[in-house]
Amino acid sequence: MSSAAPKPPMVPGGGGAPSAPAAPPPPQKDTFTVIFDGKPIEVPKNLNLIDAAKLAGIDIPHFCYHPRLSVVGQCRMCLVEIEGIPKIQAACTTPLKDGLSVKTTTEKVRSSRAATMEFLLINHPLDCPICDQAGECTLQDNAFGYGHQLSNYDENKRQFPTFDRTMIGPHVIADMTRCIQCTRCIRFTQEIAGTSELTFLDRGGRTLVWTHEGQALDNDWSGCAADVCPVGALTVREFRFRSRVWYLQKTKSVCPGCNVGCNVSIESKEDVVYRFLPRFNPDVNDYWLCDYGRLRSESLNARDVHKATLRHGNSVQDAVVPVAIHRMAAEIRQTVDGTGPSGLFFLGSAHLSNEENFLLRKLADHLACANRDVAVDKSRARKIKRKSDWISGDDAAANFRGARDMGLTPGKNGYGLEAVLSGKASPEVVIVADADFAAAADDPEKVAALRKARFLAVCARTANALTRAADVVLPAASLAEKEGTFTNVEGRVQRFERAFLPKPPSRATWELLLLLALELGYGDRNWTPADLLAAIAKEIPPYADIDPKDLEGGRLLKKGDFAWNGTL
Amino acid sequence: MSHTRYRIASAGKPRPFPPEAMTRIQETLKRYPTKQAALLPVLWIAQETFGWISKESAEEVARILELPPSHVDGVLTFYTMYNLHPVGTHLLQVCTSISCHLAGAGDLIAHCRKRLGIGLEETTKDGRFTMIEVECIAGCDRAPSMMVNDKYYEPMDEKKLDGLLDQLSGRA
Amino acid sequence: MERVLLARVGKKDSRAIDGYIADGGYAAWKRVVGGGLTPEQLTEEVKKSGLRGRGGAGFPTGVKWGFLPKDTKGKPIYLLCNADESEPGTFKDRLLMEEDPHQVIEGVALSAYAIKCQTAYIYIRGEFYDGARILDRALAEAYSKGFLGRNIMGSNVSLDITVHRGAGAYICGEETGLIESLEGKRGQPRIKPPFPAVHGVFGCPTIVNNVETLACVPHIVNRGVEWFSKIGRNEKNTGPKLYCLSGQVNRPGVYEAPMGLQLKELIFGDDFGRGMKGGRKVKAVIPGGASANMLTAAEIEDCPLDFDGVAAKGSMLGSAAIIVMNEDVCIVNAAQNLSKFFSHESCGQCTPCREGTPWLHKVLTRIEEGEGRVEDVDLLVRICNQMANGMTICVFSDAAIAPPLSSVTKFRDEYLHHVEHKRCRVGAKAAMAAV
Repeated sequence: MSSAAPKPPMVPGGGGAPSAPAAPPPPQKDTFTVIFDGKPIEVPKNLNLIDAAKLAGIDIPHFCYHPRLSVVGQCRMCLVEIEGIPKIQAACTTPLKDGLSVKTTTEKVRSSRAATMEFLLINHPLDCPICDQAGECTLQDNAFGYGHQLSNYDENKRQFPTFDRTMIGPHVIADMTRCIQCTRCIRFTQEIAGTSELTFLDRGGRTLVWTHEGQALDNDWSGCAADVCPVGALTVREFRFRSRVWYLQKTKSVCPGCNVGCNVSIESKEDVVYRFLPRFNPDVNDYWLCDYGRLRSESLNARDVHKATLRHGNSVQDAVVPVAIHRMAAEIRQTVDGTGPSGLFFLGSAHLSNEENFLLRKLADHLACANRDVAVDKSRARKIKRKSDWISGDDAAANFRGARDMGLTPGKNGYGLEAVLSGKASPEVVIVADADFAAAADDPEKVAALRKARFLAVCARTANALTRAADVVLPAASLAEKEGTFTNVEGRVQRFERAFLPKPPSRATWELLLLLALELGYGDRNWTPADLLAAIAKEIPPYADIDPKDLEGGRLLKKGDFAWNGTL
Repeated sequence: MSHTRYRIASAGKPRPFPPEAMTRIQETLKRYPTKQAALLPVLWIAQETFGWISKESAEEVARILELPPSHVDGVLTFYTMYNLHPVGTHLLQVCTSISCHLAGAGDLIAHCRKRLGIGLEETTKDGRFTMIEVECIAGCDRAPSMMVNDKYYEPMDEKKLDGLLDQLSGRA
Repeated sequence: MERVLLARVGKKDSRAIDGYIADGGYAAWKRVVGGGLTPEQLTEEVKKSGLRGRGGAGFPTGVKWGFLPKDTKGKPIYLLCNADESEPGTFKDRLLMEEDPHQVIEGVALSAYAIKCQTAYIYIRGEFYDGARILDRALAEAYSKGFLGRNIMGSNVSLDITVHRGAGAYICGEETGLIESLEGKRGQPRIKPPFPAVHGVFGCPTIVNNVETLACVPHIVNRGVEWFSKIGRNEKNTGPKLYCLSGQVNRPGVYEAPMGLQLKELIFGDDFGRGMKGGRKVKAVIPGGASANMLTAAEIEDCPLDFDGVAAKGSMLGSAAIIVMNEDVCIVNAAQNLSKFFSHESCGQCTPCREGTPWLHKVLTRIEEGEGRVEDVDLLVRICNQMANGMTICVFSDAAIAPPLSSVTKFRDEYLHHVEHKRCRVGAKAAMAAV
């Protein structure tokens, strides 16, 4: 039969007259229809079938598949039936196409999953009672969900005794007998970290994952190799045996280590932070977290300052917070009434939240003081991989950008930290919102310059030269004990939540600043960080479309010149 | 568990390739579009040069081919013909696959064990002989088949084996 | 039947190029390079000849060549000669390469021409030291005569052939395992699709063909499609075939016969195996290498040794490695030995094979050594059924289950005897290699 294209209809009146324009072709859809167990769903074309199933609410169990690593199809757990193909297929290696029909509930699928589970468990050691992974172990979960109850294995299990309980890197312990040879860790070092420390050795049932001898798993993100390991073959050393994971409370937070602002989960129990885990954010850190950031978790538990203190002459005595704040307010009023507001100096911190830095600056405004500043130390550049690029930052704190945006730069005729440290400016009263604001706070020379003031007050959690020199020290809460927002290197405003309340008398810095402000006639005692954020959105143009209720995943500020140039 | 290939022995010192070997390596590189593809041939050159492939050789190969050392290790340990530690002057490779097994490969191994005092994967004290079992070497019609270094000796029997060992020991 | 593939084997100086040329060698190559046949025409001839792959899968060669994309988008096409012959019981490719290397080289050259390939590799297993040396020498001869290299014999045909040595891995005989190995990696087979013809070595379109398959091509070109396709049992099983006979027969060896030679003829025929050593009786025959299901003595009746003939018997021709076992052989012992092979050669990538092959070996060892239990027999079947039919990335696993599954099915009483009596019924055990 002829397959010639149909001729256009003859127009009466002869040729020459153009035919009517053809109807536009139906729009190419940019999704595929995939049918899961009889139910069709539209999915994006470039998705892996396992992720497509998730969209349909179907869990296809798997080990070796990871959305950011190459697909290898090795674990054979994700087996499903595809209509039209007689043999069972791995879902992760089945390309999507329009009309693909997948069956996940047939007897063949059930028995194939059970078969794979059986094979994985015959040589797997029964380490659950001593294995950190218990409770967040994919092998446990899939065995429970899809495996047999009883084992029929009556042979000796293969072991890797010299590769158990052994450091494979400075932050990772290997227990290779537990390994299920999924190659996620190998692929992580090759494709994400780019350092290729890990490899398979030998072959067959003797296959072992290890490094080249003399080389360690030692890259900036080695902890992530333990994250991607679905079993307890690779675990983070610093967390080993510290807690069962099901007792840990998870809180959404942001890493305080640098200005990249990787999303983390603070994992805590009974008001102690046990570890950070990366929290998925495709726009910032994706699935990853660098080792430096991961280990910042421990710093949140450090505390030297348990009470407020007041200096009387040469002695420092404990005080209650209201009394200490009353003293601060009195000193401030004394200078305002005397020399004037130019005798005050307010120092914010790149470690403090936007809300805290904003409140500090508003207080300075209220007192008509143009001397306000913030400083940050520089570190080596740290980077983290997103889906297709890297994001890097070299601040040694999370929120310098935000602090500046909040207006902590000297106003007209005002001076900043540099002037105070160099002696060019001599404030009478110095208020430091965070005694750990930078390395300068532990530098005797720089502290001496600040100490020249008649009155020096700080909020602090850990002790340093500055807290030892101060007249008033207020006990401040850690990152885990308050909520707020940070603005990262690319201008993304991200929210962090509170994991647990600070132990009285410690309070969040914003609370301490609010108490001071109220004493000085500014603010509302009912304010919360949410109120402060709403005020920020109102007052600071680039933050105008920040909706406190809609910060999930962070909100990228519009590009432009943000540095608040203050008109005070 | 049968012998494993996890540890690549150390030569105790760096192992640069001698000039002739480097020339061969350069020639080899010309025949492949990527450096990585030359890995197996270059490892053979290392083994022919030094008799076995040490950790230091592996690192040198990795350097020349611009590969991560872990990749070279992964390949080295996957392929059984690369010796990861020194072997005797004469590597006795006895095939124990089905046709040779049916023809009495086990007897050959037992005979070697009796005569040389070594088992599989072991080397005589004088460093002359190492015995290993290998899988089918395509000598099935001349079973039982065995190799010594790069030469086939087939079909083999206990009498011929004695003669061969005598010859290799310099006693023939 | 007149010898075709083995015609020159045994001749004095069979390896030298001058002798090969004197016997008519490289005439096909010269004709083709001179424009006597286009690549498309040559492919069509190979297709019509009915040539099927002699490595084990029996896939029609011309059809495989046809899978190459018409537009390779600038990517070069590669031809890989699979000389990794490692299937237990197989030794025909070794013979071809060692005794008549130029036949193989001309086959590679013609096939490369047919698929428009300018770079070919002969992936030869590491143990074939002699074969590699002989091929290297033969290639040097061919280059010096101007049969290889750039602009061959003044034409615009170019071809480079390189011998690439493996280093001891049966799995590199699997075409994607071979490709991975050639790329300088562990020989772990790839997920298919994509198939090598589309995305093969170095990401380029690739064809992998067995030594014997390629060695047939010069004969197809020289003597024609008609001649080739008339040899063999029927139009689906054509051409001369090399059979590897080993085991307890009087005359093991490589035999050439038209495709479809009767199994009994191969074992007992005067031109072939000449019957069982010592007059013993046949107990079992593996018709196609370790990966093929065992046949009982009864099943060897009327079994034409071609792809379809052996398939009809519930086994496979595979690499045409016929291993004959007599009544003194303990089937359990044989199966245990074969399971050792598969557990040694598993690449270890995917779970069912990595864990299943050692498990099978351990259970068979226990049964063989008198520590088996009644449940173990069905356990073997269950393990096997969990390792095949899509459970794994490649069919190594399907091969690994052939000996235990077929032997338990057909010789169940031997297994039960082992389990019940803690020893072999046969009594005289074949010597076991210490593992």
